[in-house]
Amino acid sequence: MLKEIAAAEFEELAVKGVVLVDFFSTTCGPCKMLSFVLNDVEKVLGDKVTILKVDFDKNKDLTEKYAVKGYPTLIVLKDGVEVKRMQGLQQKPAIIKALEEQL
Amino acid sequence: MAIQYSFTKSLVDRQNEAEKAMLEELRSGNYTLTNPLVKLNPYLINPLAAVVLFHTDDEVAVTVRVLGKEPEGTMEHTFPKAKEHVLPVLGLYIDYENTVEIELYRGAKHTIKIQTEPMTSGVPKLIHMDTTYHYLRDELIFVSPALTDLATGFDYKGDVRWHLNIPTVFDIKRAKNGNLLIGSHRLLKIPYYMSGIYEMTMAGKIVREYSIPGGYHHDQFEMPDGNLLILTEDLTSETVEDMCVLVDRNTGEILKTWDYKKFLDPKKVARSGSWTEEDWFHNNAVWYDEKTNSLTFSGRHIDSMCNIDFDSGELNWIIGDPEMWPEEYQKYFFKPVGDGEFDWQYEQHANVITPNGDVMCFDNGHWRSKVPEKRIKNRDNFSRGVRYKINTDDMTIQQVWQYGKERGEEFYSMYICNVEYYKEGHYMVHSGGIQYYGDHASEQFAALMQDDPMVHNHSITVELLDDQVMLELEVEGNFYRAEKLHLYHDQDNMPLGDGVRLGKMGVTKEFDTLIEMDPCGEELSYIYEASVEEEDDRFTFHATFESGQLVMLMLEQGDEKHGYYISTAKGKFAALCCGTFIEKDARKIKCSVNKAGLSGTYDIRVIVDDKKFDTGIQIKC
Repeated sequence: MLKEIAAAEFEELAVKGVVLVDFFSTTCGPCKMLSFVLNDVEKVLGDKVTILKVDFDKNKDLTEKYAVKGYPTLIVLKDGVEVKRMQGLQQKPAIIKALEEQL
Repeated sequence: MAIQYSFTKSLVDRQNEAEKAMLEELRSGNYTLTNPLVKLNPYLINPLAAVVLFHTDDEVAVTVRVLGKEPEGTMEHTFPKAKEHVLPVLGLYIDYENTVEIELYRGAKHTIKIQTEPMTSGVPKLIHMDTTYHYLRDELIFVSPALTDLATGFDYKGDVRWHLNIPTVFDIKRAKNGNLLIGSHRLLKIPYYMSGIYEMTMAGKIVREYSIPGGYHHDQFEMPDGNLLILTEDLTSETVEDMCVLVDRNTGEILKTWDYKKFLDPKKVARSGSWTEEDWFHNNAVWYDEKTNSLTFSGRHIDSMCNIDFDSGELNWIIGDPEMWPEEYQKYFFKPVGDGEFDWQYEQHANVITPNGDVMCFDNGHWRSKVPEKRIKNRDNFSRGVRYKINTDDMTIQQVWQYGKERGEEFYSMYICNVEYYKEGHYMVHSGGIQYYGDHASEQFAALMQDDPMVHNHSITVELLDDQVMLELEVEGNFYRAEKLHLYHDQDNMPLGDGVRLGKMGVTKEFDTLIEMDPCGEELSYIYEASVEEEDDRFTFHATFESGQLVMLMLEQGDEKHGYYISTAKGKFAALCCGTFIEKDARKIKCSVNKAGLSGTYDIRVIVDDKKFDTGIQIKC
């Protein structure tokens, strides 16, 4: 599943299984490219992972909670616990590898 | 057409043509001692070099003498006897009517005048040179670029006597045959990945151009057999600056490769303050030690110098603060002993093995701890040249010499720099990356703040003999390394014949995800100021985009598509050992694609946000 969400939904969707959270901004070129990459990642991993896109500028509570300083920032959660963080634009193989390590 | 197109011949080809034309002119004319042919900047890139060409009836040795502005400033060299004389004139003053004497051995003398061009923006401004002619004599202190000023040589008085007008970055070393080994000026990728290195004469002739598939960065080293160690990277890897290759000097073939991930686990290394997952090692120097048949690599982002066996590639030892390193690596570290002062080095550069096996480096000191809570600000820090004595039997280490700690912030460079060993007690310490913001050392890279009037960059090069300062050169700007070299040497100063291009370019890394969309049928607008510069082995796309735009360069041939993502993000560099290619206008981008791995004729298209534009330009590969 790949979904853009707000804080209210986050707690519900982020606590179970392997979740990739993408903190993005609509004003950021690498974030725009990353959205195409994440579409590809979803095609490969399907329902094995949940991909949540969080607008950095609209979700201050979440950026503070996860101490996200810039965008794009990718955080891998396993059952709600952060297990890996990647900053900047990442390519598909690196993201898939990071997620598969948690499956 | 909104997109400008140009084709640029290789520098080697242009130099070959210039040399042929020069020799034809000599041989078709009647040039004599009193009527010589004079060519200023014969190889197009050194405006302070000339060639004088003439014939004599008899074989005779000739002395060429550039008269100094004062007697001690004279540079001269005597060339072997010949009838055809093609003689480099080195050490001309900039923007000056130079007087040059040409004197036959025990014979006539003729004087010519050579007027050089005015100073350009790429020539560093001298702040001071404190030394004596007695100390430096006819050697120059050369500095290589780290920001916008270009490679330049200063004499004992601080006058500029050598300069290149192209951005040859990183290291300058003299090879055993007298030529220079210097980074090429062909940028592969921002911030500083270059196509390879040049073997070049002082006059600027490229004798050999070595292209390296993974590109070149930071350093090169001539082996005892003449082959070359060149720092590079694996373009198929997700990491950078963690590979070295041994290159055949005559063919450019890669003979051996060392991948640092084979002797260190990037996930387990202790991390300096500048560490990133991609640039986990940040190799900025290589040294081969014949006595131990080993290689030493400086890894800035692990605060360490790592020594491996040349043949097996196995790790021998690590010099660095062992704090934060996992237990399995502790056996490779040294224990400080002795009563003297001792400091570890942090984010060091330019490791050197001395003849007795000691290890020297420039200790930048950046962060001065791997523990985040212990890290210190640049304004409270120091940089220095340091020499360690190591005992690999009992794994102990002593600091036997240092210079720079006592100077504190004013000698502090958070990046770049080098040390040179001449003989016991005789060293150079080059702090080339001093950056102030207002009254204190800047906490950020100045290359990213080039227009800020509060920024002041300078470079201090010191030479010491038995702890006495014999020379101090201070210039504006930052300079990657300094070297002390004679202009002339005792071998062939003017090798004639075509320069050759060896090795090969690699396949440019594509972005793994393509943006699927059809061309919109429009040409890329002139507002992007786009241009394409083609060379025989690659092309470079230049344009201006706003921060936040999504940009991808596409090469398309029917269903075959290749995508190259172009970042428009601000502040995209974690390490910036060379900011020479960083544009003042952050909106300007350049994307270079090698023709290697491509075959056929490709349309160049550009995706900007939600549209794919045509450029009207095709590239044949």
